[in-house]
Amino acid sequence: MKKHLAKIAAVALTGAVVVGTTLGLTACSGGNGLPNIGDDETAKIGVLVSDVNGDEAKAFRAYYENYLEKQYNVDFTYTEALENAAGERAAIETFAAQGYHAIISLSASDRAMQIETCEANNLYYAVASGMLDDAQYEKYKGYECFVGQIGPDMTTEYEAGKAMGEYYKTTKNVSKVAIYGAFIPNPMHVYRAAGILAGLGLTYGGQSAMDAVVGQIFGDQGLTVSKISGPVTVSAYVQGFNPDVTFGEIGGAVATQPDAFLSVGMATTFFSSVFAGANVQYADIDSFTEGNVAQMSQEGGKLTYLAGKYASSIGPVFAAVYNAVHGNVIKDNGNAISIGQNYGVATTAEAAAKYQTADSGNNPIINKSLLDTVIGKDVTFDTFKAFVETDRTPA
Amino acid sequence: MEVKKIKFDKHTVKKLLTLLMPIIAFGVLIAVFCIVVGAKGYKLDRYIEIIFNQGLVLAIVATGATFIYTLGSFDISLGASTLFSAAVGVMVYNSTHSLVVMILVIIIVAVGCSLLSSTLASVFKLPVFVTTVAMMSVLSAISATIITKNGGALGGISIPSSVVKPLDNMGFKIAMLVIFMALCVFVFEFTKVGRRQKFLGANPFCAKLTGISLNKYAIIAFVMAGLGVGLGAFLTLVYTPSVTPTTAGSLGMQILVAIVFGGMPISGGPRSKIYAAVVGGFSYILLDNILKILIQGNAGYGISQIISAVFFLALVYVASLNYRSKNLPR
Repeated sequence: MKKHLAKIAAVALTGAVVVGTTLGLTACSGGNGLPNIGDDETAKIGVLVSDVNGDEAKAFRAYYENYLEKQYNVDFTYTEALENAAGERAAIETFAAQGYHAIISLSASDRAMQIETCEANNLYYAVASGMLDDAQYEKYKGYECFVGQIGPDMTTEYEAGKAMGEYYKTTKNVSKVAIYGAFIPNPMHVYRAAGILAGLGLTYGGQSAMDAVVGQIFGDQGLTVSKISGPVTVSAYVQGFNPDVTFGEIGGAVATQPDAFLSVGMATTFFSSVFAGANVQYADIDSFTEGNVAQMSQEGGKLTYLAGKYASSIGPVFAAVYNAVHGNVIKDNGNAISIGQNYGVATTAEAAAKYQTADSGNNPIINKSLLDTVIGKDVTFDTFKAFVETDRTPA
Repeated sequence: MEVKKIKFDKHTVKKLLTLLMPIIAFGVLIAVFCIVVGAKGYKLDRYIEIIFNQGLVLAIVATGATFIYTLGSFDISLGASTLFSAAVGVMVYNSTHSLVVMILVIIIVAVGCSLLSSTLASVFKLPVFVTTVAMMSVLSAISATIITKNGGALGGISIPSSVVKPLDNMGFKIAMLVIFMALCVFVFEFTKVGRRQKFLGANPFCAKLTGISLNKYAIIAFVMAGLGVGLGAFLTLVYTPSVTPTTAGSLGMQILVAIVFGGMPISGGPRSKIYAAVVGGFSYILLDNILKILIQGNAGYGISQIISAVFFLALVYVASLNYRSKNLPR
């Protein structure tokens, strides 16, 4: 009996500590409304990220931390690589506990949950990469915390793939290509792949309409080469990345001797040396980072088409959030803003280098003087939309 | 009445130290956490809620897993089982629109997965951890297929947040933890199950010779673990009503760490403690958050991992002090 009593006491003590501490300390939880800070107060913005190592992710981070932090009274704090929705929620709640004012999301495990968590914790929220689907946007566009989403939408992703396919079909006159599907069923990669097929004039499962092809790719969890038909032959298809397997698959695809290897993303990061060794030109959708531009300009580089973002393209979303925490929440007829951003395209080393040069160092493409035109108490939605949609291709 | 004097010899001190160290460490971590959060000017009430939410699923699944670890076995598939159960639960809810049916299916699937591991080990005469490694791969792959096939443009599957919103509060979660802990304590401490499992964990041959069936108690252990996984999967959905292929991805290893942090030997046997996972789970989450607050940034992430590892080794060392005694464990 004594032994049992000791065990009960141990368990009860443990339970009491956990439950008591939790109940006692959470009793005074409560929100105080969305933040509205003065000009002399530092805006504290948490950035949710799922990728911390990619070239694009590093370029975005450098723009925020090395450029914008010096130009404005703002403090960006990045999360570690968030693996899932639970990590995203914990990160948002942690930022709230630390007194942050806003969240900018580059992580997409569960955007709906992110918005709901920000609403519950009185944090402004904006999406800087990828977009909510239409149904989600309709549901959440009226939330007070939701500042908006600025970036390539799914139609833009499709058009980016289509432009790539058309370029190789009409300008390069290819008759045989291989395709790398990266991380299909990642939605943006699915839409890009569907666009490539359309650009090459190909049907998938006998269909050519965007929604029909996209639906099939989601269903197939990738491209099935036998379902592709049309004037250009797709000699091989590879997706995913496992160093033990994928290099062999890419080698096998290269062995089919395609005229070009069209990738929906990550090709330079993973396979540039393979393509250089096999002397196969390739295309990619990524960013105008040093690595990508080098593959277009250096001897032996085989990247002949690059559609991409530039680091400072995430400047406008910062401006929207910065305005919001200072009291000017820009709305589109009372709703969160949703503005599409197009990719820049370079087919020559010079064109790619212009993007990189123009966007590097202390004078990025979207620099302080440009941002200042859309930061302030009087900025309207129309002004802001026009600013985002301005073509900023370097001269 | 004769009062028995406690003799504080070297052995008793070691035993007491081993027994109390995890609880003392837990208390110290709570104190340090409160000091650190207070010194930084952060909101302690919010932080405590975060810690509780982060540790809840871990504590529940690890407590269920304690029954398996007591036998000296090892189940690495519990994270994948949690993912699979949650994924199936979401699919069922989206078909039936019934929360009750969803919960039942989640529990049944979780217990089924757990029993399958046990049965495969029994049929093929393999160590349980071997079958759980296989189960981990299979369940992860099936879950990924379910999620990506049905997730469409969202990249994950989900139930409407309004379904679980009423349950996403501290009262309900604490109630779930208390009820499950009470069940586990009852089975482990107040029935012959816990005692015999400890015996099997310590010396399966002696236990067999005394007529204790390993299979019977292994099945009970896996059922309890399955219940923990099922409840954990449900609470995962309460916390975030969506499931992606990475949901509960690190849970399997965290369970191992939690059990060791709680002062239970990984080899199971007579020193197994049913409360170890709760103490260890929350201690681990507290330590992780303290380090994250103190050492922010990418470099901090690496440093905090190293410090966690050192802490882990120190705890294992202290816990093992008593093992090296020449006396049989009591």
